[in-house]
Amino acid sequence: MEILKSIFYILVFPGALFTMVAGLWLAGVDRKVIAKMQKRIGPPILQPTYDFFKLMGKETIVPRVANRLVFLGAPVIGFISLAIIMLFIPIFGFTAFSGSADLIVILYLITISGVALIVGGSSSGSPYAGIGISREMVTMMSYELPFVIILLTVAKKVGGADLVFSMDAIGAWQRANGSLLFQWSMIPAALAMLLVIPAEVGVQPFDVAEAETEICEGPLIEYSGAALGVFKLNTAMKMIIMTGLFTSLFLGGFTTGIVALDVLIFVAICTVLTLLCMTTIHAVTARLKIEHLFRFYWTFVAGLAMASLILVWCGL
Amino acid sequence: MFKKLINNSAAKSPWIYHVNSGSCNGCDIELVACLTPRYDAERFGFKLAGTPRHADIVVVSGPITSQSKDRLIRTLAQVPEPKCVVSIGSCPQSGNVFKGSYSVEAPLEKFCHVDVAVAGCTPKPEAIMEGLYKAALLLKEKREAMSK
Repeated sequence: MEILKSIFYILVFPGALFTMVAGLWLAGVDRKVIAKMQKRIGPPILQPTYDFFKLMGKETIVPRVANRLVFLGAPVIGFISLAIIMLFIPIFGFTAFSGSADLIVILYLITISGVALIVGGSSSGSPYAGIGISREMVTMMSYELPFVIILLTVAKKVGGADLVFSMDAIGAWQRANGSLLFQWSMIPAALAMLLVIPAEVGVQPFDVAEAETEICEGPLIEYSGAALGVFKLNTAMKMIIMTGLFTSLFLGGFTTGIVALDVLIFVAICTVLTLLCMTTIHAVTARLKIEHLFRFYWTFVAGLAMASLILVWCGL
Repeated sequence: MFKKLINNSAAKSPWIYHVNSGSCNGCDIELVACLTPRYDAERFGFKLAGTPRHADIVVVSGPITSQSKDRLIRTLAQVPEPKCVVSIGSCPQSGNVFKGSYSVEAPLEKFCHVDVAVAGCTPKPEAIMEGLYKAALLLKEKREAMSK
């Protein structure tokens, strides 16, 4: 029975299927709202789903110079790591798996999905992919520093004297003491987290690694068919994972008690966060250069996160 | 179940790759005009792809100069099946005013099968949209033929 339950968790509800559906929904809303902001009619909400199924039906070409196993395996590894992350993110009261070091597991699994893109791109043997993966690595280094500081701040705030990395404990603390977003010392960290989300997902001002007009989609240049479809799906899944992580870290302060209702509220909050920190920024900005992105994250965003950490360390 | 979904999706998300084979830039501007808020081709799912590997529809403009001929053939070979080739303007069809030049290899039909040809110098964005939409419907037919 326990095994069946675990399989259900991994394959259907907080795992693969739920993440796919919710991610494609967020990606569809994102494209529709951008179109509305630019006074266009825009594609239907289901457009990312159509894109995904179309790519499943296309021919998958593996370049002659590419390493076949790594080239086709990288998107699958990215997909698996992203499907597992969702198990560790509590949906208000509901948690699938919880241990004592969830935040560290989440941090590493998110990195794996980024590394999968780098490995897949580098195995394709295209020089454009080479430029793309070097930029992807710099992007990862840029947002990883503020991201770690934010997680450390949350762990310190919840744990007090010793750090608490368990998502379950963070949720329980918030239900007892109110959401972390409403603690004034945590507001800079929340702002920094909102700026980390678009870089992690790779949307407009921070999509230097996949600049399609400049380096022909970087690491994805040689990908076609099903492998490309899985990479596009991974991007959509990252949207629900990052916004979901924000929701449970900073807004996990209440629960209705009914799981279905909780999930609806969770997805609604994720949609609002997507519109706030991805769609709006995408619609009003142009692409940054890689050195500007690096400077922005290591000064402004890391500074915000650091301010919060110092405040929390001083006991506020 | 998935087979039908995949076949239907083929018509709903055609990604375009644009090859300029010595065009005067007139047709290229009109193609980009299709993607602007006024015409908004994205409502049918059209999207400009950055590389031929991602493309479903290859849009060719220009009279195929001798320099660009080999590149054009190589680009077309990189596009995964099912694919469509759409020629825009009179140049790829006949050579237009460049016909007879030593450096122009005019009709595109000599090098590949052209699914939809939009004539005009330059064609209006409405005409280009209609041509691209017909190509999208053709993609579905090709996908159905492939899956049998």
